[in-house]
Amino acid sequence: MAGRQFIGKPARRVDAADKVTGRTRYVADYQLPGMLYARCLRSEWPHAVMTHLDVSPALNVPGVAAVITSADFVDDGRFGFPVRDQYILAHERVRHVGEAIAAVAAETPEAAAAGLHAIRCELEPLPAVFESAQALAPDAPQIGPDRSDGRHPNFLHSEIVRLGDPDRALPQCPVVLDAAYSVAQQEHAYLETEGALAIPTPEGGVVVYASNQSPFINREILASVLGLPADRVRVIQAPVGGSFGGKDDLNYQASAQCAALALKSGRPVRMTFPREESMIASYKRDAMHMRVRLGALPNGDLQVCKFTGRLDSGAYASQSVFTSWRAAVHAMGAYRYEHCHVDIDCVYTNNGYAGAFRGFGNTEVCFAIEQAIDEMADALGQDPLAFRLRNCLRLGDETAFGQRLEESVGLAECLEAVRKASGWDEKRAAYARQPAGPIRRGLGVAAVFHGTSLGAEGADYAASTISVAEDYSIALTSGLTDYGTGAATVFTLIAAEELGTRPERIRLLRPDTNTSLESGPTVASRSTMLGGNAARLAAQNLRQMLDFAAASLLNCPQNRLLRVGEAYIGPSEEPATWERIVDHARSLGLILSAHGRWSAPHIHWDSQAGRGSAYIAYHFGAHVAEVTVDMRTGKTDVTGFWAAHDVGATIFPQGAMGQVYGGVAQGLGYALMEEARYEAGYLQATNFDTYLIPTAKDVPDITCILLEKPYSQGPFGAKNVAEPAMVPAAPAICNAIAHATGRRVRDLPANLERVLLGHALSHSDGGLACKIGLARPR
Amino acid sequence: MKKAITLTVNGDRRELYVATHHSLLDVIRNELGLMGTHRGCDTGNCGACTIQVDGLAMNACLLLAVDYDGSDILTIEGVAQEGALHPVQRALVEKGGIQCGFCTPGMVMNALALLADDPHPTEADIRARLSGNLCRCTGYAKIVEAVGSVQ
Ligand code: FES
Ligand code: FES
Repeated sequence: MAGRQFIGKPARRVDAADKVTGRTRYVADYQLPGMLYARCLRSEWPHAVMTHLDVSPALNVPGVAAVITSADFVDDGRFGFPVRDQYILAHERVRHVGEAIAAVAAETPEAAAAGLHAIRCELEPLPAVFESAQALAPDAPQIGPDRSDGRHPNFLHSEIVRLGDPDRALPQCPVVLDAAYSVAQQEHAYLETEGALAIPTPEGGVVVYASNQSPFINREILASVLGLPADRVRVIQAPVGGSFGGKDDLNYQASAQCAALALKSGRPVRMTFPREESMIASYKRDAMHMRVRLGALPNGDLQVCKFTGRLDSGAYASQSVFTSWRAAVHAMGAYRYEHCHVDIDCVYTNNGYAGAFRGFGNTEVCFAIEQAIDEMADALGQDPLAFRLRNCLRLGDETAFGQRLEESVGLAECLEAVRKASGWDEKRAAYARQPAGPIRRGLGVAAVFHGTSLGAEGADYAASTISVAEDYSIALTSGLTDYGTGAATVFTLIAAEELGTRPERIRLLRPDTNTSLESGPTVASRSTMLGGNAARLAAQNLRQMLDFAAASLLNCPQNRLLRVGEAYIGPSEEPATWERIVDHARSLGLILSAHGRWSAPHIHWDSQAGRGSAYIAYHFGAHVAEVTVDMRTGKTDVTGFWAAHDVGATIFPQGAMGQVYGGVAQGLGYALMEEARYEAGYLQATNFDTYLIPTAKDVPDITCILLEKPYSQGPFGAKNVAEPAMVPAAPAICNAIAHATGRRVRDLPANLERVLLGHALSHSDGGLACKIGLARPR
Repeated sequence: MKKAITLTVNGDRRELYVATHHSLLDVIRNELGLMGTHRGCDTGNCGACTIQVDGLAMNACLLLAVDYDGSDILTIEGVAQEGALHPVQRALVEKGGIQCGFCTPGMVMNALALLADDPHPTEADIRARLSGNLCRCTGYAKIVEAVGSVQ
């Protein structure tokens, strides 16, 4: 970019040196004098009523200092947004295996575990539902909260998109596709498990360090369930060892449990989850069953899409209301239609609950629609990439939900880029002619569009503060968390660019509810645009003061000032250093402190009509995957991968590309091996020996292409990348498998059985690993 | 039950009195306070706890401390000498092989052992040798590139 010093230029992560030397301290590394260790008693039943709970025997166990239940919280510790259906500790009933019932704090982890065993808890099992298809049966046991509108209490939410009349138009289409797809639950598998540390304060409040995503939400929940004013609760963001959407609810529960135990015992309390407990208790990506009907003209023009999906939210609502909205808005894919109806319903079951996970509904629906698009291209006898180019959304088009795309639409360019980089045309032709044999090769493509930030989901804003410290360094804050994404570096580069200072001069302070400003949740790939704009405005405001001081010192109008590096130069051509300008500003009485707040432009979604403007802008991307399949075993290797993404503009190239590589790897795991399978409510994989995620050997060389169709409201034109980098990977891989084998895998994951036999083998390992995992101490 | 052992950790001789059921990982973190060695699974499946024991890369969570009486241990804290990053560490920083950083120390420890065995590994060698170290963030692309760039 012309004239830019730092934006889009090579840079290093601001936290890299600490991480590579082992100096970064995650929550599990915090050790304080007098600190207690906390553990939770968790349900071994998927659905049960608590007939008896007596925690007092735990207090007789040597080393146990405090024990809590739901009775230790205001309103029984109920929380949740938008549906308030969860508890910090279970109240009267448990609805999934692994739900926390009581928590103990003790001198050692062993004593805490012994304390748990001493608790007298009697659970009387209730009938349970595990299949989302049966959740709304009239005789299904009630899992969700009571409702007043006469609907089944296990019905959680539904979202629609409406355009035209598919029911009338579909039968008239000369070419029709009708196919069903399903995706399994997926575990986030962040390498650092959940954790929190709570320290009681002399004022009767509490300071909490947590591995969470959104410290302000944590504070709000803490204040409400502890019955404390917000100023007595301070949440400080600890470094996060991976999140991907997964460090919300469970960390808020852990924070509140530690806080209550700390207030009760008067001592610091830390809780760190063993892997098994993390997997059993944590929320997952939702499982979804989907049916797609497409209609097209023989020339290849798409006409109709009818998409239905049933989302299994498990025992609690968590984010599923929002997930189902994002799923609905993206379900038809980035294509033009004359008629389109989408219906996404979500229901409660007694499986572990579903919550936020990278892609947030779009990952699930993209798997279905992008395979359906391929199947339609096959039915038409057209090349799937050319078919996408023919029908994809372009500048000026209207989406199926009625939003005109006025700027920053790079989908066709992304498709062309992966076509060229992967050698699509030659390889597709060559693989179509490959001789019969056990090893088959194939190439598949998938496209994505992904709304930036929260969209019509919620109030969309972020805030930053910036100030010059005594030592002339600059302290920058953001209310948004960098959980490994590189957001901290993005904010730093943006502030440096605006201020004309070296990035090394800037220290990004970790989010802290006492010192940073509330910025909404760190979700939905909103950091770069929202947090970046806030940092930019804050830096601009500070810059005005510095320019004023420089003009005063150098005795010239501000428009005569020049910058050489950090120094200011006036007409006398004698450079004034940063330090001199700062000193002069202070002598003028200026307080070198500023803030910036950015709100996204207002948009409107009509949920009754299923139409509106869903998001302020959209990310576009396309993936091509190359696979080899061994037809004797069903083993699929991804041998090549090309990913093109329209990010608007690149601020921190290394960070943006890192998101793409990581997103592709997670999508590869989702496609081929990851399945957080519940059997009768018991999770079947509780550690990395059975829940397999891609290793360095599974992930191929990935070619990443960043395209820039600037978005006028984004900082320096930037949009988002973290989520959409994952979304199209799984369907691209499954499309490649279909190309290689002639068989379509419509249910994830495409493991050996599904690729070889076309269906999954039945398992019946039951709940044993899950129960052992719950009992394991540490 | 407890037992006295002696370990040389990052060049320092340490006399320790450790529980017989505690792993080297427990001892390194809880007794020695060296928190750069991470616990990701405690079952030998993630590699976040990789250390070197007498020059071999091992998962500290799988080793009972009392079995390693007299051993020479290197952890991530002993890798950078006088503040200067080891070339593997520098390459990870420069290439962008670090995101959340939780896997990073284990990755470094395994990469060091790899390069000690084979100073010129192929990309396939690197991928195979690092396949015991899980990383959920980076897709391994820049980790593999960084290790391969160290000569
Ligand atoms: S903690 Fe040792 S291998 Fe995972
Ligand atoms: S950088 Fe997060 S696990 Fe590797």
